[in-house]
Amino acid sequence: MKQKPRVAIFDFADCEGCELEIADLEEEILELLEIVDIVSFREVMKEHSDSYDIAIVEGSIMRPMDEKRLRDIRSKAKILVALGACATTGGVNKIRNQWMHDEVIRDVYGDAPVHGNELFDVFKTKAINEIVPVDYYIHGCPIDRDEFKHVITALALGRKPEIPRYPVCVECKKNENICQFELGAYCLGPITRAGCKAICPTHNSPCEGCRGLIKKAETECVWEVLERYNLSYEDIRRRCTMYNYGKEECQVDE
Amino acid sequence: MNQIKTISKNDLNNFINKLIQDKNYEVFGVKSKGKRYVFDQLEDASELRLDHDVTIIPPKKYFLPQYEKLMDFNLEKQFEVKPKDEIKPRVIIGIHPYDIIALEQMDKVYLDSQKDDFYKKRRENTILIASDIQNVSDRSFAASMNTNITDKGFDLLLTNIENKYAITIGSEKGKYLLEKYAKVEDAKEVDIKKIDNARKKTLTKFKKKVALPKEEWPYVLVANYDSGIWEERSDKCMECSSCTMVCPTCYCYDIKDEVSLNLKTGSRIRTWDGCLLRDFTKVGSGDVFRDERKERYRHRFFRKGNYLPARYNFVACVGCGRCGIACLPDIADPCEVMSSLAHHRKSDDTTRFFIKQETKVAETNTIHVPRKATIKRIEKLTDTEKLFEIELDDKKPLGHKPGQFIEVSIFGIGEAPFGLASPPSDTPAFEIAVRKVGNVTSKLHEMSVGDKIGIRGPLGNGFDIKALEGKHLLLTSGGIGMYPMRSLIKYVLDKKNRKNFKNVIILYGAKRPKEIIFLNEIQDWKKCEDTICQLTVDRCEQGECWSESVGLITTLFPKIRVDKLDSKNTIAVVVGPPVMYKFVIKSLQTMGIPDENIFVSLERRMKCGVGKCGHCQINGVYVCKEGPVYNYKQIKSLPEAFE
Repeated sequence: MKQKPRVAIFDFADCEGCELEIADLEEEILELLEIVDIVSFREVMKEHSDSYDIAIVEGSIMRPMDEKRLRDIRSKAKILVALGACATTGGVNKIRNQWMHDEVIRDVYGDAPVHGNELFDVFKTKAINEIVPVDYYIHGCPIDRDEFKHVITALALGRKPEIPRYPVCVECKKNENICQFELGAYCLGPITRAGCKAICPTHNSPCEGCRGLIKKAETECVWEVLERYNLSYEDIRRRCTMYNYGKEECQVDE
Repeated sequence: MNQIKTISKNDLNNFINKLIQDKNYEVFGVKSKGKRYVFDQLEDASELRLDHDVTIIPPKKYFLPQYEKLMDFNLEKQFEVKPKDEIKPRVIIGIHPYDIIALEQMDKVYLDSQKDDFYKKRRENTILIASDIQNVSDRSFAASMNTNITDKGFDLLLTNIENKYAITIGSEKGKYLLEKYAKVEDAKEVDIKKIDNARKKTLTKFKKKVALPKEEWPYVLVANYDSGIWEERSDKCMECSSCTMVCPTCYCYDIKDEVSLNLKTGSRIRTWDGCLLRDFTKVGSGDVFRDERKERYRHRFFRKGNYLPARYNFVACVGCGRCGIACLPDIADPCEVMSSLAHHRKSDDTTRFFIKQETKVAETNTIHVPRKATIKRIEKLTDTEKLFEIELDDKKPLGHKPGQFIEVSIFGIGEAPFGLASPPSDTPAFEIAVRKVGNVTSKLHEMSVGDKIGIRGPLGNGFDIKALEGKHLLLTSGGIGMYPMRSLIKYVLDKKNRKNFKNVIILYGAKRPKEIIFLNEIQDWKKCEDTICQLTVDRCEQGECWSESVGLITTLFPKIRVDKLDSKNTIAVVVGPPVMYKFVIKSLQTMGIPDENIFVSLERRMKCGVGKCGHCQINGVYVCKEGPVYNYKQIKSLPEAFE
């Protein structure tokens, strides 16, 4: 029998919620183990190996020490998969890029003696594709379990995963939701990558853009919609800060 | 004249509750969702909202669901496939007349030459209880589309007449349902008058009216294909395809394979797709047809107002107004778009973008379910191309013509179209050549002799051999265009058939010498009587062995002696990459070959292969059905053919 691919799961700056989504596959984890060997997964196991084919990396890169570790992982992995918004877009960790990091450190740690400690030596937050090449992306905050399964099974079958390049509206309409705009809310669904089954608007919460933007915020069509719903460019910019700070357009996996 | 009954409001509720309690049926109806309405399962008659204005999405979801399993497969056994066929009888209550008319239109598409079994079963198992419109959506212009009322297409039709409902019986099924479950009375003259009054009252509630009568849509659209309004309006398009998702006459779909996490089992899934999305037309090589936003935007209006009218004789918009509600920048509403064209030029010819052609669809088994086949032989052609000899496991010959194609399935990976590379044959074996570009092709390249694959087809029209007989033939191919051309060449040069054709000139070009395929066969072709075979490559680098022409395919044409060719009696066939056609056709015209003597074979994203999914459409024609082979004189008026 063909040897099973060896998979290692790593995390950087994040809440580990996407790893939890994997752990939450519960009995399906056993099915996953039929097709891959998981050799490192800090959240659920003690064992660790540095020999792996596929690295699944969660979290954003905040510090030189993270960058070094990520480069090391990349050098060992044949395939590198970015897991979750922190890894794919920089996610919520990029919010702090609005301020100088000295300022942030001072605000958070006050006078504590953190200077010179490499754990606190931060640079601007980066998505992992800003440091190393990424082969595949599993978007979302948190990820969608079905999409995780799709990417893993596709890789196991030697097929390129199909990640939607159309907006959340497609899935939202299929779910027969009343448009969030119609309800007076402001939703990023029309410019955000689908694949989440429009879970937020389906549960009556507007899209926050966690799967990355697929259209620039400054295009005529967006202006038109903003105008029609009495919103300003400032509104959309502020809204995009949550998951897409500094990103005008999602350029991944084109 | 339909039979009409009346029922008290109380008895109508009892009737519906009896249907719900009878476990033979699943009962669906219009329910409120916030301030809007949806079709959903009814648990009690009190949930039913016959006063709704319009539902968020139309009832098409019950016949072509948003997400549907077409078949299950087992990846552990090499080929085991089970089509899905569970469909419980259903009753749907509260469908407005415009949605009934939209369903009748959908029937044409899904039940015409190639029936869609999944759709057909659902349609047969569903009882439609329509409802006359009581309240009108602000965006609806159904009255000006003559779709606000209908006298057919339903099993029963409910009309609110003051303190009771009138029920118009539209079918035996409907009649039976009433007899079994409802307490009704015969309608009196006064009741019938009340139905009329109720409809008249509703008519006054329509706020929107399309300024261009629908009969004129096809004529005006043809004349305004190049109008600036497409670009102007589409600049505001979010490309979200919300307009197509909520449309009762949009039925394009995509197909995907999903597999279980342990890779043991999987399903082939059909899901709604939209022509406003850029990847809709994307083919394996990465080419996107209708790449510009304005082209996709225009396509939707032409499909509704010209392409489908040319094919089926109906305008595929029923004026429900859903797209107007769903479109955030508000550019999707046909009422506004078509009204803005009201005083524009009209053309006499509505069929300019459509080719009328009777095509017999060869697929006779269940739609989308492939036949089992085995890879018999694999031959490496180039670094990225292989030739596969395949045999159907039922040992029947494929029965194809040169120019036809098949869909090849690898469960868990997907399905892709391939032109047949071998000539027609009485044996069950046939050949395809495959360049490694996408998922299916890459997987095929990894497969071995003895592996099982799925086959659908032969599909498409193929070359019209009769038109070629008794003529000189000039067969031009570029790159992978040689795959289908080989099928034709081998047929023509076959000893049995050779006498049916005059001189044969074969011109073939590839990018580099190493990309020239079937070289051994080409040497044989050259030896055939009255046959010329000339090759060229775009470029040849030092160290590459090449003794023939260097330059684009068009460099070969001046070498042909026109006097020898007798251009009026020559049929030219062209197959190649999209960029090649324009130049080759120009050369052919220079040689004096009339347009009607030129045949081309075009490539698009043929996904379903049976003229339903919409992906391969070139203006009004389906490449999978009316193509892939076209007469140039016919197709040259289609702007999307050689863009």
